[in-house]
Amino acid sequence: MTVIKTSNLTKIYGKQKSVDGLNMTVNQGEIYGFLGRNGAGKTTTIRMLLGLIKPTNGQIEIFGENFYKNQKEILRRIGSIVEVPGFYENLTGKENLLINAKIIGVHKKNAIEEALQIVGLQNETKKLVGQYSLGMKQRLGIARALLHHPELLILDEPTNGLDPISIKEMRRLIKSLAEERNITILISSHILSEIEQLVDRIGIIHKGKLLEEVTFDYLRKKNRKYIEFQVSNDNKATMLLEQRCNIFDYEVHDEGNIRIYSHFGQQAEINKLFVQNDIDVVKIAMSEDKLEDYFTRLVGGDTIG
Amino acid sequence: MANLLFTEFLKLKRAKMMIISILGAAVAPFIVVVATYVHMKTKQPTEVILFEELFYQTNLYTVLVIGVPLYGVVTAFLFNREYTEDTLKNLLTLPVPRISFIISKILLLFIWITMLTLVSWGLTLLLGTLGQFEGLSFSLIGESFKQFFTGGLLLFVLSMPIIFITLVMKNYVPTIIFTIVITLINIMTANSEHRDLFPWAAAGDIANNTLLSTYPLQYSYIAIIFTSIIGFIATIVYFKKIDIH
Ligand SMILES: Nc1ncnc2c1ncn2[C@@H]1O[C@H](COP(=O)(O)OP(=O)(O)OP(=O)(O)O)[C@@H](O)[C@H]1O
Ligand SMILES: [Mg+2]
Repeated sequence: MTVIKTSNLTKIYGKQKSVDGLNMTVNQGEIYGFLGRNGAGKTTTIRMLLGLIKPTNGQIEIFGENFYKNQKEILRRIGSIVEVPGFYENLTGKENLLINAKIIGVHKKNAIEEALQIVGLQNETKKLVGQYSLGMKQRLGIARALLHHPELLILDEPTNGLDPISIKEMRRLIKSLAEERNITILISSHILSEIEQLVDRIGIIHKGKLLEEVTFDYLRKKNRKYIEFQVSNDNKATMLLEQRCNIFDYEVHDEGNIRIYSHFGQQAEINKLFVQNDIDVVKIAMSEDKLEDYFTRLVGGDTIG
Repeated sequence: MANLLFTEFLKLKRAKMMIISILGAAVAPFIVVVATYVHMKTKQPTEVILFEELFYQTNLYTVLVIGVPLYGVVTAFLFNREYTEDTLKNLLTLPVPRISFIISKILLLFIWITMLTLVSWGLTLLLGTLGQFEGLSFSLIGESFKQFFTGGLLLFVLSMPIIFITLVMKNYVPTIIFTIVITLINIMTANSEHRDLFPWAAAGDIANNTLLSTYPLQYSYIAIIFTSIIGFIATIVYFKKIDIH
């Protein structure tokens, strides 16, 4: 099932098309990485998905319904963080969440404590949010977004301002939310490697346009590291790989071109095995780790912004 | 709406603006009563100044001079903090309907202005009693309360254009400048026979029963209601369609 579907979504500021004919789909239960450089249009898109700004053009469907026909009911089922989450600085974290709980009508008694526990803020009962660090605010933002048990979580660069360890924790948290609560998650980022281990699918936005929308498995396959052999007899070679080396993660591309996606560093042994069995090895090569460069190749090159 | 109003009160917890505004509302009664007391005691032969005069003076200064900028700052604080603390995007995506947001803020503003009016009225009563001014009666208490409350209510009604300016400019400064200009016009027109056409000056005259007879009194009411309604409609229309960044 499709949770988010935009058609020709466009936002024009003055002469600039900040979001330009975006057709994006986010499926039920997946973690969708929304990737783009600074100024690509991620936040603008997210603000439109949340009804904070009006599109110049285009349609939004969320949970299979026209967003503008049923905005209130749809928003109730979404939790979100847009850019840096804002709080009332004269209140504690708990009081800030109480505001949301009252408005949404979360009646479960310890809902706030539970939400704070998830992000590890349950012991900061005295501290006012004005005294929170950036990372603490970010985590409180997640707690607030989770308070009403949303089905869809929209997170705009939630790792902004976090240290490396907190980033790891945040990733683990997001992963567990998707797995344990079956929440669909849209997460934006400008660093591929940061969401690499996290997402199921990515959409790459550049200068307001969606350049590519693919599953991460596909990308990883397309860009996976491998050992490449060019051999005279690929049938025999693959049989040897399976029976003698227990290698199954390989692909035969063109005539005699075998790519092995595991057992790195053992190319010498494999080569020896081929030669001993009368297979000519014309070429052995190691692929580069292309995933790192993939994003840069797609959107990089020109000036920042 | 009750829940929304509850959260509006919660947001004021530990807010310094509350105490600052109370201090602001205390200025007029304090200065009027103390200055009158000193004046009365030092003048030879001693002059008798009645309690009624204290109420009149305090309400005059509150409505015409201090009230507009003071309530303007409160208005700016209420609306502008959602921008400065960047909390608007959270509220509107919960979602709080945009109109409900405006209405709950307006309700809170009304309660706040009423409270400040009570502070200045109550303080006049208290300080005047301490200073043993003559002429206090139940009917004076009732009448003065009615006058103070009328002044507060009219200034609240006239807050609508101030809300609009705050929302559009997203900053305290233009709001404060606007309210100071209003105060200056109030002072400059104090001796003008046409002053009751200016809504804020008319509010002062209505509150103190001192409307001039230059124009029919309906003109003053129309000026006030017109200003208020235009401000309110502008606020709603603007806020309903504006992009929240
Ligand atoms: N209110 C606005 N008025 C004019 N232009 C705007 C406005 N908001 C955003 N833009 C422009 O739209 C483009 C996209 O901005 P957006 O904030 O969506 O980028 P982003 O992908 O979120 O970037 P970042 O990674 O830096 O957060 C930018 O060029 C920005 O300057
Ligand atoms: Mg952004």
